[in-house]
Amino acid sequence: MTLADSTWSFSEDFSPFWVGCVFAVAALALLLVWLDAAHTERRRALVLLSGGVATVALVFAILRPVSVVQRSNNVGSKVLVLVDGSVRLRIPSEGSTRRARALGVAKALAGTFKEARLTLLEFSDGALKPLAKGDDESGVGVGVESDLTAALAEVGNGAEEKPQAIIVVSDGQFSHPGKEDDLARITQLAGGVPIHTVSLAEKDPPDVAIRAVRAAGAAVAHQPLALTIEVSCTGGAQCHEIPVEVRELRYGVPKALLASGKAQVNDGAGKIELQITLDRAGTRVVEVAIAAPDGDSIPENNSRVIAFTVTRDRIRLLHVAGRPTYDVRSLRMWLKSDESVDLIAFFILRGNEDDTRTTSDSELALIPFPVEELFTEHLPSFDAVVIQDLDAVAYKLARHLPALARYVESGGGLIMVGGPTSFSGGRYAGTELERVLPIKLSSSEKPFDLEQFVPAYTDSGRAAPVLRGLRDLLGEKLPEMPGTNILGVPRDNSLVLWEHPRLKAGDRSMPVLALGEAGDGRSIALGVDGTHLLAMSELGADVEGRGFGALWDGLLGWLMRDPRFEAARTEVVGECLEGQKTTLVLTRLPTMKGDISLTLERLGATEKELVTRRIVNPPPGPLKIEFADLKAGGYIAKATIGSAPPTRYDFACERGGQAWSDTRVDPERLAKIARATGGKSVVAEDVGKLPVPKPAQIASERRVEPLFPAWGWSLAAAVALGVHWLVRRQGGLV
Amino acid sequence: MRIARQSFLLGLAASVVSPKVLAFGQAGAFHPRVLITGAATWAGPRVRAPERWGWELVRRTSAPARAVCKTVRAIDGSLFAEPFCIWVGEGDFPPLSRRELRQLGRFIALGGVMLVDDFDPAGGAFGRAARRELRRVLPESPPVRLDPRHVLFKTYYILERPFGRVLGVDHVDAIVRGNNAQVLFLNHDLLGALAQDEAGNWAFETESPDPMFREQAARLAVNIAMYVLCSDYKDDQVHAPFLMRRRAAR
Repeated sequence: MTLADSTWSFSEDFSPFWVGCVFAVAALALLLVWLDAAHTERRRALVLLSGGVATVALVFAILRPVSVVQRSNNVGSKVLVLVDGSVRLRIPSEGSTRRARALGVAKALAGTFKEARLTLLEFSDGALKPLAKGDDESGVGVGVESDLTAALAEVGNGAEEKPQAIIVVSDGQFSHPGKEDDLARITQLAGGVPIHTVSLAEKDPPDVAIRAVRAAGAAVAHQPLALTIEVSCTGGAQCHEIPVEVRELRYGVPKALLASGKAQVNDGAGKIELQITLDRAGTRVVEVAIAAPDGDSIPENNSRVIAFTVTRDRIRLLHVAGRPTYDVRSLRMWLKSDESVDLIAFFILRGNEDDTRTTSDSELALIPFPVEELFTEHLPSFDAVVIQDLDAVAYKLARHLPALARYVESGGGLIMVGGPTSFSGGRYAGTELERVLPIKLSSSEKPFDLEQFVPAYTDSGRAAPVLRGLRDLLGEKLPEMPGTNILGVPRDNSLVLWEHPRLKAGDRSMPVLALGEAGDGRSIALGVDGTHLLAMSELGADVEGRGFGALWDGLLGWLMRDPRFEAARTEVVGECLEGQKTTLVLTRLPTMKGDISLTLERLGATEKELVTRRIVNPPPGPLKIEFADLKAGGYIAKATIGSAPPTRYDFACERGGQAWSDTRVDPERLAKIARATGGKSVVAEDVGKLPVPKPAQIASERRVEPLFPAWGWSLAAAVALGVHWLVRRQGGLV
Repeated sequence: MRIARQSFLLGLAASVVSPKVLAFGQAGAFHPRVLITGAATWAGPRVRAPERWGWELVRRTSAPARAVCKTVRAIDGSLFAEPFCIWVGEGDFPPLSRRELRQLGRFIALGGVMLVDDFDPAGGAFGRAARRELRRVLPESPPVRLDPRHVLFKTYYILERPFGRVLGVDHVDAIVRGNNAQVLFLNHDLLGALAQDEAGNWAFETESPDPMFREQAARLAVNIAMYVLCSDYKDDQVHAPFLMRRRAAR
């Protein structure tokens, strides 16, 4: 709306002071005229009149009065609508979501405040952004928290026009300000602008939920970890005790139950402490689930999927050998020299047919090989098992091979080292254990070959970080091996690092050293018994025996997923939430070259490959790779760089995570904020009752024009002065 | 353990065909190489004792051993090919050359184990000369007396003291580096107790005619071999309570 306002001014360019001075001089002149007129009797009145007119004309000639025309516009008041955009508002409830309700409120506000300039923004835990129009958007950037404090601070710090009112649309469950925070901070941030609030719900929905899962300290492999699980019954849900289960999600096998119990609920809240033991280091994905009673309207928050980073105090390693040799000696001495390894060793020192020349076993320092105890009771406690030249049948290991295979598939590490009684020679062909080895075995072939040879590096061997230390010392050189076990073709998900220069497996060179993934675990097949020659041989002496340590450091490190021996590192950006885009960042070792293949698979009994992304000629530096529509659960991302062994990264994806753990609403808090800032608090249905601020008046144009031309004023003054002079002359005053 | 014995025989056969060829599984087999220094030679009635040592090891234990044992000169690079050698002899000998000293030092630094024994324990001249030279090699590591509970005395047999051709002293001295006894000093003519002539007769009578005397020497030889092959395996915590009960029962 446009308004025009006309007025005038004595002068355009004289300040009020100088205008006053001019009027003062004029008044003095009039006084002098009056005094002068007193000296004549003739035409006194005329003298006074002409003198007055001349003075006025002279004043106007000096000041030059102007007319002022001012035009102005009325604009609608600026109103800022801050809609809670956090993921918590996407909690499903009664066939809809609070998010959908918030969008409805925004639409209603647009109608109510049609005279105002309405800006619709949403806030969560990042910068303010325009309100998305739908609730099914990709969710990129949807925050976990509801940070109203940061949102108001951003508004206050902005350079834009200050709003006349702020309307906050939320359920009242803010992350910031917290429940205990003083409202003074909000009042200060509002800066005198009233904050109206719209409450999206008035009553808590009936909900049984996992309120929080807390771990007492860091997770360390093999050591009990206390989990405190808090549950809640709100909105009228009836609970007395709630069953709680904790399971580990593993690759290719069903979930493994770690602990269970019942949480006693009093006054709507309950707590239970469960001890779990995670045996494998690295990222382990754990599901915490409750069995909610009837009446729970939001089952989506009855489970949490949490990734634990499990460290290990020391690598607990079982080393079993069928006979003592220099190869066994070298490996044992290297393992014993490593303070990070807790070594449990069992060597077969006496066979059933050996003649000890004793009359009593008390003359011997030998103990029975505790195969039952080791491979049943204690097996899960080991991070890795090294089987070196051990006949599975002769030493009663055969019956435990299925358990050993399951151990590998559930995350354990296995190295089978060559020797006459290793692989097929140790009667492992066709056993359950064979399926977790990186190579196939055949019982029909001769178990080993006696011809001396030097293993050859494959392209994968040259690219693999696992052998980088050895190659840094010796380059392509390797010691001459006195024969090899006969190994079959590599399995899927396996890589051959050394191969035989002459022998074939199928139509390819026979593997000598191969790495493989089996379920959650890893395995290594080393078909020779001469790696000790890297420690003690003329070649080994050239590098002071460090070649042996370099090889085994790499092999054991790769088996234990030591990042030093992985080709790349993968991480999730932020949190992975169901229905939203998940971004993985892949950072390669500087030396890793080649195309990238990133495969995403779900943890659990299904081994279905979800998606594979291939990046040809990738640019240097970290790469961001996005995945959409991931469901809640555990995932593994396998990244393969060129021909190097794949790198695995486990992560958890949740429906709503911690943000969905508390579904209660807090309309009273919204009302307090409104009261503190001079605003009004309404429910969603009453947004029409919110006061609309008055339009703001802004000046858009000001025109200044002289009332009369300057020459006119001068002429008038001159004429008036001339007339006055004539009158005075006739009056006898000149 | 049949494989060890098969390997032993296979290795014996292979050595006849070509002394360079080793059977699969034999590269890591126990091999008591005789160390030759200066102008010394390896000859005499004890020349077959290393093979007998290997044979005793193979018949009694699961460990493999070389069927044919070799000598190795201290100046040769092949000294570093394996982690064990025995330095034996009789009488004093001239100081080692600088190259020999350097090679022996490197052998020890690589983790090698050496057994020093004197054919003439009563005179002890060889043992003293060897200690003198090894003091030049490892001046910072003087020999120390091994505790009777040292793992050497329980690597396979439970032994109370060392035996050889002679009863000698009741202890073993050693140069210990880190936790490892890397140079063992015997003064019992162990090879004398093991030596046989071509007909298979014992080359020397032991100090006591009791067959158990020679048997104890053979057991010490087996324990030394097991120490070389397994290092301190029997010191592992898992064996401790069992061995304590065994010792208490004896």
